[in-house]
Amino acid sequence: MLDFTALSAGLSLLVSGIEPWMVVIPGILIGLTFGAIPGLQISMAMAIFLPITLYMDFMQAMLFLTSIFTGGGFGGSIPAILMNIPGTSSAISTAFDGYPMSRKGEHNTALGVALGASCLGVLIGYGVLLLLIRPVSELVLRMGPAEMAAVILWGIMLIASLSGKRMLKGVIAGLTGLMLGTIGYSEAGVPRGTLGSDYLLDGIPVIPAMMGMFAASELFRAVNSQYLVDDAAARRVSVREIFAGFRKAVTYPWIIVRGSMIGVFVGAVPGVGSSVANLLSYIETRRGDRDPESFGKGNPAGVVASEAANSTSEAGSMATLLALGIPGGGATAVMLAAFTMHNITGGPQFIREQTDIVYAIILANLGQAFLLILLGLLYIPVLANVIKVPMRYLIPSVLVLAVCGSFGLVGSLAGPVTVMVFALLGWVFKRHGYSVPACVIGLLLGGMADEQLIYSYQISGGQWSYLLERPVAMAFIAMLVLSLFGGRLVGLLERKLAHAPDKKISSA
Amino acid sequence: MKNLSAHQLVDLFVLLALGALAGWYLWSAYSASAHIFNLILVLPLTVIILTLCGAAFVGELIAPTPVEPDLESVRGVAPAILLFCGYVLSLNWLGFDVGTFVFVLLFLLAHGESHWYWAVAYALVFACCVALFFSIMLPYPMPMLLLRDGF
Repeated sequence: MLDFTALSAGLSLLVSGIEPWMVVIPGILIGLTFGAIPGLQISMAMAIFLPITLYMDFMQAMLFLTSIFTGGGFGGSIPAILMNIPGTSSAISTAFDGYPMSRKGEHNTALGVALGASCLGVLIGYGVLLLLIRPVSELVLRMGPAEMAAVILWGIMLIASLSGKRMLKGVIAGLTGLMLGTIGYSEAGVPRGTLGSDYLLDGIPVIPAMMGMFAASELFRAVNSQYLVDDAAARRVSVREIFAGFRKAVTYPWIIVRGSMIGVFVGAVPGVGSSVANLLSYIETRRGDRDPESFGKGNPAGVVASEAANSTSEAGSMATLLALGIPGGGATAVMLAAFTMHNITGGPQFIREQTDIVYAIILANLGQAFLLILLGLLYIPVLANVIKVPMRYLIPSVLVLAVCGSFGLVGSLAGPVTVMVFALLGWVFKRHGYSVPACVIGLLLGGMADEQLIYSYQISGGQWSYLLERPVAMAFIAMLVLSLFGGRLVGLLERKLAHAPDKKISSA
Repeated sequence: MKNLSAHQLVDLFVLLALGALAGWYLWSAYSASAHIFNLILVLPLTVIILTLCGAAFVGELIAPTPVEPDLESVRGVAPAILLFCGYVLSLNWLGFDVGTFVFVLLFLLAHGESHWYWAVAYALVFACCVALFFSIMLPYPMPMLLLRDGF
């Protein structure tokens, strides 16, 4: 599995001088800052700083960009925990338990737990990648459009199934999001549902919609609170508690390992992976927990599960980029641009011929995880002070940041208007028990689901039997059905088994 | 049918609205093109949404979902929502600088900031910082009323 000669060459590339590492600390800090500010994206940070990499050699450029990626991966969890704004779709499930922990006054612990799980996740993820980069890339090659469509639908049903007793409303919300995600020009070349607006021809801007549904709607609900945390004593920023949170993450080794594995393998699926990996890890953790009802109310295990998976999905998307030359999302697309700027083409040939560089990139990411621990622990106490800001100041400030950020993402006032519309929708959804995350995931993946279904139709010639020839797609569909009805089936079986001895006794 | 509270009636209205949205979207997509590439996802999806909304509607009529006790009052939240909508819709005229200043100032005064001078100072500094930061960071011009040329 490991080419030790190339590994040794890769290591010597990294330790031969201090130059490659000089860009890592600024890179992590840039990533942390962009990740922590609502509305600024990791991909935006990488794109802004991409021209600087022209003055670096390839190795240094890769270290710089991957350090922004690593810092941003964790940075996104800070607004998710403190303000219920997941900076990226891969931090959605961090907010599920991170924000309730903050509202209970456990913000220090939550941030520490997130940092611990992120760093350990990166270590495990890149460790796995070091061993399995070739098998992972071969696995990704087996993912055709049918599998992608199945993964998308599975992701939405997974999140809808989280709604518990209100699963029907969860499914309605997820499917409505999926429907809204297909607004705009279709593959047939006709506009649908645009109401004649040019702004909607490319579809609904997803990140502003996400900001509106998650952040703005939640802030409206908190408008009559004095502080994010009611108890004055609980509002203090404690480095000791952040450390304790960091150590607490280590007490969930199985959740971290499982989340990391999910992150690497599901995260490697281009476009879909990082959005689904954190949800899958969260749901699996909730399903396996002794007290699943405590999730969504501030259970640290939920934060660990989400952060372990989303930080490792970075490793998964790097596998796809390095091994196949396919960017899995915005950030890896910028990295692909850096490849092109240095006349390097990712893919099987790159892995075969420049294995030492591939190993050096992976090893550098392992090193970045340790630096992230240090920088994160220094940076978090500064950001955690947000908790001390009165809500009457915090709410308009965050709303303004969301509005300006959405303008930055879209480049027109369509961004702020999207935030406004989806803030109202999110508020109504929350008030009436519809799943906001399911709707957002649907919105995020709607266009892609449509595209993948069309490709599947073209490949299969409209024959359903094609699905039977795709065992991986069948497995995903089976898991989709299990996500929806698994709990009820288990309950039914348990009830039958519980009654079985009574019947035997009565028949005897 | 049981006696329904205002919240439960709105619940039914939301279901109706979602069903109507799905129906309208199907009509919009179908009238744009009836080609399979245009309807491969939209047709089954909207039919499922309509069916589920119908099922949930009937379910709510028969056994309404109990209202959660900790729901915030609409009266308490409505002014903030209206102020936010006003802010977003006025950005084209007031720009990000003045619009942000007015929004933050009104929000602070409406939500209990007793020192008006402190509210004015915060709104002014915050609006200037945010508007200038984003206008410098972004590669395209932001609508501004006063800070058009940056500093």
